[in-house]
Amino acid sequence: MAALRQIAFYGKGGIGKSTTSQNTLAALAEMGHKILIVGCDPKADSTRLILHAKAQDTILSMAAELGSVEDLELDQVMKTGYKGIRCVESGGPEPGVGCAGRGVITSINFLEENGAYENLDYVSYDVLGDVVCGGFAMPIRENKAQEIYIVMSGEMMAMYAANNISKGILKYANSGGVRLGGLICNERQTDKELELAENMAKKLGSKLIYFVPRANIVQHAELRRMTVIEYAPDSEQAMHYRTLAEKIHNNVGQGVIPTPISMDELEEMLMEHGIIPNVDESLVGKKAVEAVA
Amino acid sequence: MSENVTVEEIRERNEQLIGEVLEAYPEKFAKRRAKHLASFDEAKGECGVKSNIKSIPGVMTIRGCAYAGSKGVVWGPIKDMVHISHGPVGCGQYSWAARRNYYIGTTGVDSFVTMQFTSDFQEKDIVFGGDKKLSKIIDEIEELFPLNKGISIQSECPIGLIGDDIEAVSKAKGKEYGKTIVPVRCEGFRGVSQSLGHHIANDSIRDWVLDKLGDKPARFESTPYDVAIIGDYNIGGDAWSSRILLEEMGLRVIAQWSGDGTIAELEATPKAKLNILHCYRSMSYISRHMEEKFGIPWVEYNFFGPTKTAESLREIAGHFDDTIKEGAERVIAKYQALTDATIAKYRPRLAGKKVMLFVGGLRPRHVIGAYEDLGMEVVGTGYEFGHNDDYQRTTHSIKDGTLIYDDVTSFEFEKFVEKIQPDLVGSGIKEKYIFQKMGVPFRQMHSWDYSGPYHGYDGFAIFARDMDMAINAPVWRMTKTPW
Amino acid sequence: MSQNAEKVIDHFELFRGPEYTEMLENKKCMFENPVLPEELTRVTEWTKSQEYREKNFAREALTINPAKACQPLGAVFAALGFEGTLPFVHGSQGCVAYYRSHFSRHFKEPTSAVSSSMTEDAAVFGGLNNLIDGMANAFSLYKPKMIAVSTTCMAEVIGDDLNAYIKNAKEKGSVPQDFDVPFAHTPAFVGSHVTGYDNALKGIIEHFWNGKAGTAPRLEREPNGKLNFIGGFDGYTVGNMREIKRLFDLMGVEYTILGDNSDVWDTPSDGEFRMYDGGTRLEDAANAVHAQATISMQEFCTEKTLDLIEARGQEVIAFNHPIGVEGTDRFLMEVSRLTGKAIPASIAKERGRLVDAIADSNAHIHGKKFALYGDPDLTLGLAGFLLELGAEPTHILSTNGGKEWTQKVEALLASSPFGKNCHVYAGKDLWHMRSLLFTEPVDFLIGNTYGKFLERDTKTPLIRIGFPIFDRHHHHRYPVWGYQGGLNVLVTILDKIFDHMDATTNDVSKNDYSFDIIR
Repeated sequence: MAALRQIAFYGKGGIGKSTTSQNTLAALAEMGHKILIVGCDPKADSTRLILHAKAQDTILSMAAELGSVEDLELDQVMKTGYKGIRCVESGGPEPGVGCAGRGVITSINFLEENGAYENLDYVSYDVLGDVVCGGFAMPIRENKAQEIYIVMSGEMMAMYAANNISKGILKYANSGGVRLGGLICNERQTDKELELAENMAKKLGSKLIYFVPRANIVQHAELRRMTVIEYAPDSEQAMHYRTLAEKIHNNVGQGVIPTPISMDELEEMLMEHGIIPNVDESLVGKKAVEAVA
Repeated sequence: MSENVTVEEIRERNEQLIGEVLEAYPEKFAKRRAKHLASFDEAKGECGVKSNIKSIPGVMTIRGCAYAGSKGVVWGPIKDMVHISHGPVGCGQYSWAARRNYYIGTTGVDSFVTMQFTSDFQEKDIVFGGDKKLSKIIDEIEELFPLNKGISIQSECPIGLIGDDIEAVSKAKGKEYGKTIVPVRCEGFRGVSQSLGHHIANDSIRDWVLDKLGDKPARFESTPYDVAIIGDYNIGGDAWSSRILLEEMGLRVIAQWSGDGTIAELEATPKAKLNILHCYRSMSYISRHMEEKFGIPWVEYNFFGPTKTAESLREIAGHFDDTIKEGAERVIAKYQALTDATIAKYRPRLAGKKVMLFVGGLRPRHVIGAYEDLGMEVVGTGYEFGHNDDYQRTTHSIKDGTLIYDDVTSFEFEKFVEKIQPDLVGSGIKEKYIFQKMGVPFRQMHSWDYSGPYHGYDGFAIFARDMDMAINAPVWRMTKTPW
Repeated sequence: MSQNAEKVIDHFELFRGPEYTEMLENKKCMFENPVLPEELTRVTEWTKSQEYREKNFAREALTINPAKACQPLGAVFAALGFEGTLPFVHGSQGCVAYYRSHFSRHFKEPTSAVSSSMTEDAAVFGGLNNLIDGMANAFSLYKPKMIAVSTTCMAEVIGDDLNAYIKNAKEKGSVPQDFDVPFAHTPAFVGSHVTGYDNALKGIIEHFWNGKAGTAPRLEREPNGKLNFIGGFDGYTVGNMREIKRLFDLMGVEYTILGDNSDVWDTPSDGEFRMYDGGTRLEDAANAVHAQATISMQEFCTEKTLDLIEARGQEVIAFNHPIGVEGTDRFLMEVSRLTGKAIPASIAKERGRLVDAIADSNAHIHGKKFALYGDPDLTLGLAGFLLELGAEPTHILSTNGGKEWTQKVEALLASSPFGKNCHVYAGKDLWHMRSLLFTEPVDFLIGNTYGKFLERDTKTPLIRIGFPIFDRHHHHRYPVWGYQGGLNVLVTILDKIFDHMDATTNDVSKNDYSFDIIR
């Protein structure tokens, strides 16, 4: 039996993380791999393209309904979608209440204890924007994901998030063996985006796995709650995702311990690439009237 | 027992002892602990220790947490309110009925002190938040315990971490039922010990009880002699054996905070002419507040042992007219015979015995006088969760060279006792059996070892009897094999 | 004044004198804003009614007087069963103070455990530094052979990762790299103390069998015919473990106790404080992998642990705290089957003595109705014994029992005509029990110390069996397992029955004709 490959997609919210991950995983499924997707975002939108569903029953909502996680059976929350991809969503509370991070811990413990990881080639975790608390770091603990793929773009906040996620990985890398698999740039068509993404990857001691070009067909597919792989298998965009999938598949064991940079370094880099303007230090903290004076 | 030891020799011994225990720590923590161990320096008038600082991890501190200070100490004894331990089941379970806050009432119907109300948080409550559950709990309390006079919500650690809004729930439900519902943010991770829990609990009484009084009419006619007992938790009946003395001298006790207390008494306290404060540590906050807001003066007192009791009675009487001053003298005289007989009986058995204390609240200093009344000497003392003002106050009660240990670790305490070999150790349940195994007589000075009361003249007789039975029990002769 | 230096009176009598009763009555009338007496009586009576019972059982959110504690308490229990082991609970420090007090109040013994003393800053930044420093301090001061780590709910909510943290601490030199630091996540908001026991014990066994956190090769099992024995979270562990060892020795069984707390909670008073005493030796814990089989006395305390052991190829047998003749029979026969050792005649004789004792006294128990609550396994064991005695269990309640437990109890009850009028209550608390005792009264109640509140309110005599027992001393030193243990339980039950008979037949010239001197 080939060893179970566990990967995770992290990235700032709205970056296209779920779309990228589902398309990539659909391509991996096409290649014949048996896959489980574990959605770790309280929005529970990590599997909708695979299942053609609005939202599936989440582990946490079902557990709350039944009384406790112990009362929950795996088949109540695990659905099968495109090419036999198994899907679970952790789910979580409404914004502003409870502890979504704890929910991730609860869900992953439940899946492991109930044998969800048996007979699989891939487990993929799709994790909320940033490493915000210990719970969201659950997928990068020892014996969880071996490689983390950070979905980003050439925007400042996406770069900032990528750096932060790398910090989270670094924390666990020495004790737990988790590695940064690489960056995936989901094109936003910002200035010098490819160059910036490559530079960011280099700074983090990693590499740019793939640059996914922007294409309207992705939106068309999404409207039908489908991946591009399924919606338009012969499209150019589908080929891009297949290439990305292959690169990830061949990236086994190639992850690195990331070298996150300081805020100053990050700012400097963004200035170099003209993403943020050079700041005149003398103006910092000055109100409009003062600046005029 | 070595008599005629000079203060210098004691100080030297203490220094050596402190040095020995510190050696066992990693360097960084030896430095930190060093600040908490010292000998009392009478010339400088200071105990020489830092206090109210985080315990160092991994050392078996004797301290508890803010929840223990709020639910366990301040709020728990208010008998006609329901106190919800809000969070997982454990905190409420371990503190259930364990503190011996005596009260009169029909438990489960109009009184609730020795019950454990918990929201028994499950994983789903953590993940989705517990506010809805809390609302429902309050509804269920109202349904099943209609005679309750109010509810307090005692937060356990997760509440603050998951961001529940217990204040909003309290407001809404308080309005719905027209009752006092008090949210208390006493999560166990706040602060460094029980102490912050006292403070938080005091503040919650200020904000959710006193500030919401409005112009509720008094239930009684005020008199010039109305006082409130603040900071007596009625352990084994302490507040009762105190109250009787105050009333015998002509004062009228309109409230007890909080042992055998009720919400009506809390609400009536602004009408007191004087707040008399026993446990300064846990209730000085509310006393200061009432002084500022209502102009009620407060006075600290000490009802352990006849000497301090008489001093305190006179001090309290000093705030009133001659009727009360005469009353104080009358009370002191009334109990003189009992005091004399108690001392005559027990002092010969106890004189010269050395005591080491480690307790919470006011006792590390307050009980010293009672021991001295029996001819005993306190050679070491320390506070579980005292602040600098406690140590400052302690300087008036201890002898030069007394060993002082703040937030002592069980390691240090064992070593100190092993070397100093006191005749009695007074501390808590976690320490009791350690020292008894070492062959050292011991009394629990939190729960009075299930005896009490110890306050007042009636209590002193019990205190003396108990110290005698601890020290002079035949069992200590048998700890060593005779062969 | 009623106080007197010659005969000092304390709270038991002091407050009964007129000066105090009048003072307290005055306090109540003047200042307490008391409930009117008629209203108090009305509501008091109402709480005893069927109507109240229905409202009480309709509760969905509130728990009142539960008979369960939280996971880390069980983790501390499990850790203390190993040689030289210091339980280390990662999280808030107040929790550890509570666990230590709780155990000390039951066993009347010191209980050593440390905390990583996490405070508000650790809540925000995670408790890594607390764990690193805490391990270093604990190791220096208390010189343990092993530190067993568990967690409070605080650390669980913020998601601290023990595995990574412990590795970090070792790298920082808090303890040597090859020092044994097993761990278990024990969130207080899942399960109860029995769950925590299971998680912690599993963590310890996993540590020793699966390569000691990467510092040793994973042990390959080479069956050696020995037997492992796990007692579970048990308030009678001191007496029970000694009894089990005696029985094993009588049978000539080669065994390893996994988690033996009998010495650490029963150290002598001889001038020396033993922070560590006895316990399963660490090499024995490791070698236990080679055993032929593992017996657990408490299924619900060891579900995950037994799964782990079974996965390593051992046969695992789980009992439910067997008490009495048939329970002990099954236990010994399994031991005999697994080891090939015959049950000696001397044990058969002990059995005969227990049967003899039951024959002598069962007339006083036969047909008596019992209510019973406690941990899932204990209630099963006790219910089995009651059925043997011809008693009629009527309410069986377990706050930490679930569906599986309910099914087991119901199957047990179905096996005996004496069980047919009994109801089973999983997940209910002692306030539910109060309603049951008022609306469907029984003759006796069996439970822990908290049952005394039920005894006071409902006047149902309480027989104290369970954990914790704070207000009776030393019963934990006597076994409830084995035929000898069954005898102890029988005597405990009988003593209460006889005391109750005497207390209800001593009204002179009214009913004291039944105040017999021979019973």
